[in-house]
Amino acid sequence: MTTLNWIGTFGFSVLRLSTPLIFAGLAAVISKKAGMMNMALEGMMLCAALAGVVFAGKTGNVWIGLIGAVIFGVLTGGVIAFASLSGLTDLYLTCIAVNLAASGGTVFVMYLLTGEKATTSAAIKAFSLPSITIPLINKIPLIGPMISGHNILTYCAFLSIFVVWFFFARTRLGLRMRAVGENPNAASSVGISVKRIGYISFLISGVLCGFGGAFMSMGWVSFFMKNMVNGRGYIGLSACNIADGNPIGAGIAAIFFGFTDATATSLKSQTSFPTEFLEMIPYAATIIAMMIFGMIRINHLKNIEKGK
Amino acid sequence: MNKTSKVEFTVELIRILAAIGIAYAVALITLFAISDDPVYIIKQFILGPFSSVRRIGSIVNLAIPFTFTGLCFCFMYAVNKFNLTGEGIFMFAGCIISLVAIKVGTGVPKPVMLVALLTIGALTGVIISYIPAWLDTKFNANIVVASLMLNSILVFFSIYIMKYAMRDTTIGSLGSLPIPENCKLPSIFGKFRIQAGFFVAIVAVILVAILFYKMVFGYKMRVVGSNPWFAKACGINMTGTIIAAQLIGGALAGVGGTCEILGNYDRYKWVVSTQHGFDGLMVAVLARRNPILVPIAAFLLAYIRIGADVVNSKGDIPIEFITVIQGIVILMVAAEEFMGKFKKKLIYKVAEEELAEKEKKAAEAAGSKEV
Repeated sequence: MTTLNWIGTFGFSVLRLSTPLIFAGLAAVISKKAGMMNMALEGMMLCAALAGVVFAGKTGNVWIGLIGAVIFGVLTGGVIAFASLSGLTDLYLTCIAVNLAASGGTVFVMYLLTGEKATTSAAIKAFSLPSITIPLINKIPLIGPMISGHNILTYCAFLSIFVVWFFFARTRLGLRMRAVGENPNAASSVGISVKRIGYISFLISGVLCGFGGAFMSMGWVSFFMKNMVNGRGYIGLSACNIADGNPIGAGIAAIFFGFTDATATSLKSQTSFPTEFLEMIPYAATIIAMMIFGMIRINHLKNIEKGK
Repeated sequence: MNKTSKVEFTVELIRILAAIGIAYAVALITLFAISDDPVYIIKQFILGPFSSVRRIGSIVNLAIPFTFTGLCFCFMYAVNKFNLTGEGIFMFAGCIISLVAIKVGTGVPKPVMLVALLTIGALTGVIISYIPAWLDTKFNANIVVASLMLNSILVFFSIYIMKYAMRDTTIGSLGSLPIPENCKLPSIFGKFRIQAGFFVAIVAVILVAILFYKMVFGYKMRVVGSNPWFAKACGINMTGTIIAAQLIGGALAGVGGTCEILGNYDRYKWVVSTQHGFDGLMVAVLARRNPILVPIAAFLLAYIRIGADVVNSKGDIPIEFITVIQGIVILMVAAEEFMGKFKKKLIYKVAEEELAEKEKKAAEAAGSKEV
C-alpha cells in the first residue's frame, strides 16, 4: 500500500513539475512554427511570475494576478517582436538580452516594491490559484491521487496542448503561420504579412509564458523568488526542438523532463547521494535527449538521401 | 579604406556612442525617479568610481575578467555560434585551478606554478567549450540550450568539488582551503592594487588581434561568420574553423577565471554563477566583435558596474538595475535599424558624390580629346 501511495504522489509531482515545461514548450512551438527560435521564454516567464504575484497582492484577487501575469508575458513578447522584426536585431542576441534584463529587472522591481532582494514571501500577501478535485476520479486508487487535486493551470497546460494542435491543424491563422515558417517568401507572395504573423506568434507565445510564469509563482509556490524559473524556459525550448515543433510531441517531451525533475526532487529526500549530482539530472537529461533525438533525425535524413 | 567603409565605420561609432548615451540617460532617469536624494546618488554614480585610488584600481581589476570573457565571445560571435559556455567555464576553471593549487601548490617555484595553472585553466576551457560545439556539429543540437544546460551542470559540479575535495571546515561559510601564497598573482602598481592578470590580459588582446586580422585563420573565421555560403564555395573547412574558434574562445574564458581567482581571492568560494560570461557577451557586442575595442568596452562596463556598486553601498538603489541597462545597450547596438536610415542616407550621398566626380572627369577627358 505504501508503494502504491508513493507512486501516486510521485505521479502527482511529475504532472505538477511538467506544467511550466509544457507551457514553455508550447510557447516555443508557436514561435518555431512561425519560423523563429524563441529563446526568451525564460525571461518572459520570470516577468510574468513577478507580475502575477504583484497584481494579485495589490488587488487581493488571484484572477487579476493571472491576467496581470499574462499581460506582462505578452508585453515581453512584444518587446522581442519589436526588436527583432521591426528593429532587425539578431534574434539570438535579442533573446539573450531580454533574459539578462528580466533576471536583473525582476529583482530590481521586487526590491523597489518590497525592499527585499530574495523573495516576496514576507512582503506581499500570498495568493494561489485554486486546485481542483475531480469528483469520482479522485476515488480511484493510484490514478486518483495522481491526476486529481492539481492546480487549475496544470489542467490548462494539458488542455493547451490540444488547443495549440487544433490551432495549427484547423484554423486559418495557424495555417498561415505554418506557411510563414516553411517559406516566408512564398507566404508573402500570396499576400500574407510575414511581419504581422511574426508579431502574432510572439504575442501568443507571451500568453502561454504568462500562464507558465503564473503557475510558478501562484501554483508551484505562492511567492516570487529570485531567478525562480531556473532554466525551465530553456528546457521547454529543447522539448519543442526534440519534437521538431509538433505540439503533442513537445507536450510528451515536457512531461519526460518533468519526470526527471520529479525524480531528482524525490531522490534528494531519500538518499545520501551528493545532492549536487541529483540537481544536475534535469539538465543532463536535456542534453542527452537532444543528443538522441538529433541522432535519430540525422539518420532519418541520411536514409532519405540514400533513397530508402 | 574607401569612402563607403569610412562612412560605415563612422556611423557604427556614432551608433554605439548613442546607444551607450541613451542607456546611461535611462540609468540616470531611473536613479532620479526612485532615489530619495537623486542629486547625491547621481553624483556618486558618475564620479564615485574615480573618487579614490582604490576604486580606480577596482575598475581596472573588474575590466580584466570582462576583457577575457569579451575576447572569448568575440570568437563565438565571429563564427555566429552563440556558445554561452564562457559563463560556466569561467567558474569551473577557477574551481579546477584552485583544486590544483591547493593540492600541489606548496613548495613549487612560483613562476612554474603560475604558468602551469594558466595552462590548466586554458585547457579546462578548451575541453568544456568542445562539448556544446560537438553537440552542435554532430547532433545538430541547439547550441544556446546545450551550453546553458552545461553551465548549470558546471555550477553544481564546481560546488561538489569544493564541498568534497577542498572544503575548509574551520570557516563558517562555504569555502575552499586557502590558496597557497606561491600560486597567487601579485598585485601591481602599489596603491591601485591591480592584479597581475592585467599583463596577461594585454598579451591576450594583442595575440587575439593578430590572430583576427593578420593570420589566415582569423580571416577564414570572419568569412565563415559573415558569409557562410561564400566560405563554403571557397572550400574553407567550415566545421573545423567553427569548432577551432570556439575552443580558442573557451581557452580565453578559462584563463580569465584563473586570473580572477589567483589575483583577487584568498580562497575559492563561488557558489553561484558569476555572470562574467554574460557580461563578456555584452562587451563583445559593444566592441562589435573587434578584439582591439574589447578592453575599451570592458573598461566602460567596469566603470558602470563600479558606479552601481558605489550607489548600492551608499544609498537605496539595488545593483541589479545595471543588468536592465545592459540589456538595453545590447539591443540597441545590435539593432540594424537603429540609425539605419541615417547610415543609408550618408552612404547614398557619398556614392552620388563619387559618381558625379567620375562623370566630371570623364567629361573633361572627353573634352581634352576633342581639342
